[in-house]
Formats: sequence, C-alpha cells, structure tokens
Amino acid sequence: MPMNHLPEAQRRAIVRTAATLAAIAFALFVYTLWRGIK
Amino acid sequence: MATAHHDEHPAGLMRWLTSTNHKDIGTLYLVFALIMLFVGGAMALVIRAELFQPGLQIVQPHFFNQMTTMHALVMIFGAVMPAFTGFANWQIPLMIGAPDMALPRLNNWSFWLLPFAFTLLLSTLFIPSGGPAGGWTLYPPLSAQGGMGTDFTILAIHMMGISSVLGAINVIATILNMRAPGMTLLKMPLFVWTWLITAFLLLAAMPVLAGAVTMLLTDRHFGTHFFDAAGGGDPVMFQHVFWFFGHPEVYILILPAFGITSQIIPTFARKPLFGYESMVYATASIAFLSFIVWAHHMFTVGMPLAGEMFFMYSTMMIAVPTGVKVFNWVATMWKGSMTFETPMLFSIAFVMLFTIGGFSGLMLAIAPADFQYQDTYFVVAHFHYVLVSGAVFSIIAGAYYWLPKWTGHMYNETLGKWHFWLSVIGFNLAFFPQHFLGLAGMPRRIPDYALQFTEFNQWSTVGAFLFGFSQLLFVAVVVQAVRGGKKADAKVWEGAEGLEWTVPSPAPYHTFATPPRIK
Repeated sequence: MPMNHLPEAQRRAIVRTAATLAAIAFALFVYTLWRGIK
Repeated sequence: MATAHHDEHPAGLMRWLTSTNHKDIGTLYLVFALIMLFVGGAMALVIRAELFQPGLQIVQPHFFNQMTTMHALVMIFGAVMPAFTGFANWQIPLMIGAPDMALPRLNNWSFWLLPFAFTLLLSTLFIPSGGPAGGWTLYPPLSAQGGMGTDFTILAIHMMGISSVLGAINVIATILNMRAPGMTLLKMPLFVWTWLITAFLLLAAMPVLAGAVTMLLTDRHFGTHFFDAAGGGDPVMFQHVFWFFGHPEVYILILPAFGITSQIIPTFARKPLFGYESMVYATASIAFLSFIVWAHHMFTVGMPLAGEMFFMYSTMMIAVPTGVKVFNWVATMWKGSMTFETPMLFSIAFVMLFTIGGFSGLMLAIAPADFQYQDTYFVVAHFHYVLVSGAVFSIIAGAYYWLPKWTGHMYNETLGKWHFWLSVIGFNLAFFPQHFLGLAGMPRRIPDYALQFTEFNQWSTVGAFLFGFSQLLFVAVVVQAVRGGKKADAKVWEGAEGLEWTVPSPAPYHTFATPPRIK
C-alpha cells in the first residue's frame, strides 16, 4: 500500500539509495575475495 | 493524527507469509528472536549442566563443542540481531513518521530467509558428522577439517548475511528518504540514529564475513589453499578477515541497545536526554573505531610490537565515546523525577552491568595482560556482560517499554518486576564467578576442568538455570499482554516523547499515510 502512494521523486530516491548500497556491499564481498587471492 | 482508515489485510497464515507491513514483519522478527533465545538458551544450559562438576557427566566432548559453537551462532545471528531488526521494523517508521519501510517486499524476503537459514543450521545436529564444533569463529584448520555440518553452516551464514545486508539497505533507505517533513537528521530519536549507524556497520561488515566463509568453502571443496599452510596459505589470515567482520559485529549487537536505553531513561527520568548531539557523535565514533581494532582478538597469534601497540591503544580509545554515553545516561537521571517501572529497571541494570563488561574489555585490551586472559573464562565473563546484560537486557527493556504500544494492553508490572530481579540475580550469579575462573586459568570451550574450579562453576550453573528459567516469566508477561489486560493509552508513559506516542495503542495497521509535520 504505502509505496504506491509515494511521490515519484521519493520512489526514485529510495531505489537509487538501495542500488548504491547493494553495489557497495557486493563490491566489498568481491574485494575480500580478491585480497584473499592476491 | 494521520492514521489510514483501511487496515484490511489477509488473515491467517497468508498474512504472515506474504505481509509487507512493517508492524507484521517486526512482530515476525521478534517472535523468531524469542524462539531462538530459548533454543540458544537450552544449549547454554546443556553447557552449564555439564560444567556443574568436573569430569564428563551428561554429554560427550564432541557434542559439548557443538553446543558452544551453536549457542553462539544461534544467540548472535538468531536471537539478538533479529530482535533488534524487529524493533527497527516496528519503531523506525513510527518514530520518523513514515507509512512503512522504504522497501516493503524486500523486507518480507529479509525476514523469511532467516527461518530457512536456521533450519539448515540446526539440522546439522541431526546429521552423522554433527554440527559445527570448532567455535563460532570457524577458525581453520579445525573448520577446514570438520564434517558436512560446516558446509551447512557456511550456507546458513550466507543466508543470514544476505538477510542482514538487505535489512540494512532497507533501514538506511527508509531513514534517508522517508522521514516526515521537518524531521532533520538531528531531530531524529536516538534509537533511529543508532540503527542508521548500525545499518552502515552491517553493510560494511557482513560482506567481509561472506568473503571469509566463501574462501573457507573453496578450501574445503575446490582445492584452494587460502588458509592452508601446507599449500602456501595462511590460517592467521582467516582470523584477520574474520575479526575485521567480527569486531564491528560486536557493535552491531550493542549500538541499537544504546538507542533503546537512550529512549527509555529520559522517559522514566522525565527529563530530555542529556547531550543528545554528543550521543550521536559518540555512536559514530564507536562505529568508526570498530573497524580499526580487530586484531585485539588475536594478540597471542604473534604480530609486530607496533601492531600490538596500535591495536591496544585504538581499542582503549573506544572507552572515550562509550564513557560519554554512560556519563550522559547518568546525567539524564541526575535530579530527574524518576520512577522504576520494569523497562527503567532493565535499563538501569544495563548501564551498570554493561559498564562492568566495558571495564573487563579494557583489561583485555592491554596486550601484555591479554596473554594471560586469552581463551580463558575471563573472556566468557566479559562478553556475556556486554551481550547479555548489555544487548539482551536492552531488548527486554525495549519489549516492556513498547509492548503496550504494540498490543494495546498494559503488561503485568508485578510479574515484570519479578522477571527483572530474578534475571539480574541469576545473571550475576552465572557470570560474575567466571571472571575469577578465568583469572585462575580455566580455559574456555572445555567440557571438563581441574578440581579447583568446581565451586565457582557450581555457582555459575545455578545462576544460569535461574536466569534461563526466569525468562519463562517474560513469555508469560508477553502472552498476557497480547491476550488482554488494562487498556493502554496512546501516550503510554507520562514522560514519553516522540511520534510513536501520538498514534493510538495498539498502533493501527497503517500509520502516517499522511506524513505528520515536525516543528
């Protein structure tokens, strides 16, 4: 219910924040493996 | 007040399986955490029963090792972390005036990963090789040699990690994007602040654990030698990577506790929180320092003197922002018009007992002294003072504090006070003697011990059983409040401040569909 009622700009901001954070988390995972291999 | 008129939702099992409502998901997390508290607690009681006297009485050493390992994994990842996430789900939207979490469907998935992860983890106790038995830290070479239970555990940790990272993303996205108009960052309640910082810790720490256990898995099955000295690898590297996750994890387990305490003490002292901004900066400082202290867990592996000095002093620096917090809680109570309802009692016990755990932490931080304390019961006493009388007491305090808001009923104060006193006495009886055992040289993670340690172990076991069984009172209080009782007002506590107290009790299914305006 609530998400559909949010203004478009706010919805975009949420997706942008979440995507950025997910990319950071994945990068940290890959970096840890890379440091292990190095 | 802005409360949506429609609160229709599916009934029965489908409500809980498919819900994207932050209150439902918060309840799921809290119930799951309570169940895990009893599962992990039962394991603790197996450990304490075995240690009641020297010699092997009840369980075999291999099963004992499984109990110590599983107790930690269940309590950390199954009880404390989900309990705080439950609080976050219930309270953050209510406290910032948001209609829900920013990503409700992701929220549902974050929760539902957990029952599967823990089914997988607990199922290892029923497979022939048994569960993981090398300690929750999963150090190789022990973990590299363990049976299939270790592989199950690694997969379970991946699932818990994904759940935690998704939960953290949701919390950050919610706090940064969903605050009511006028609620600037420095107007947010401290619980929200501590969770924002915790979420960043989760985001930075959990992928590192995922990396460590992935390397462990490939060492076990795919011919790599990351941690295998015979193949050119380094088992100590696992310890470094693990504790780079593990120390921030300690603060993931305690920062939300600081937040809950910072909500409760002002309410029952009937004064605003002393030094709000310094609390925020102290929390951020602790979070930063948590990333540069990891090797204090491994002083004895051998590292350059400069390394020992760096990790010793950086660890001691954590006492400064933590001291600021303790000072501010005491200053909030100073000359306050205090009353001692159950949430306040647990919060005051939190401040006093957590401080004891902090002091023993400072003792452990002293590198030369740590050579004596390493892997003794002193360490066990230390981390139970910060995690039980710290994290768990604050969770209980928070549950009592917000229970009337969640259920619409006041809880039974008499039973609550009984629960408090039995918990405090049982807890101290269980864990204070462990300081002496450790200083006298009793190692941790052993099913048998030398005769001179008997008496303190017996006290400890009696205390542990008292503490464990007194938690049944908590279940009774919660069940009573859910089923009925005196009706709670919107503003349950006279001295409470904040948006959550402006909505009726119980909080309607949908709240703040129209955001409130903060002045």
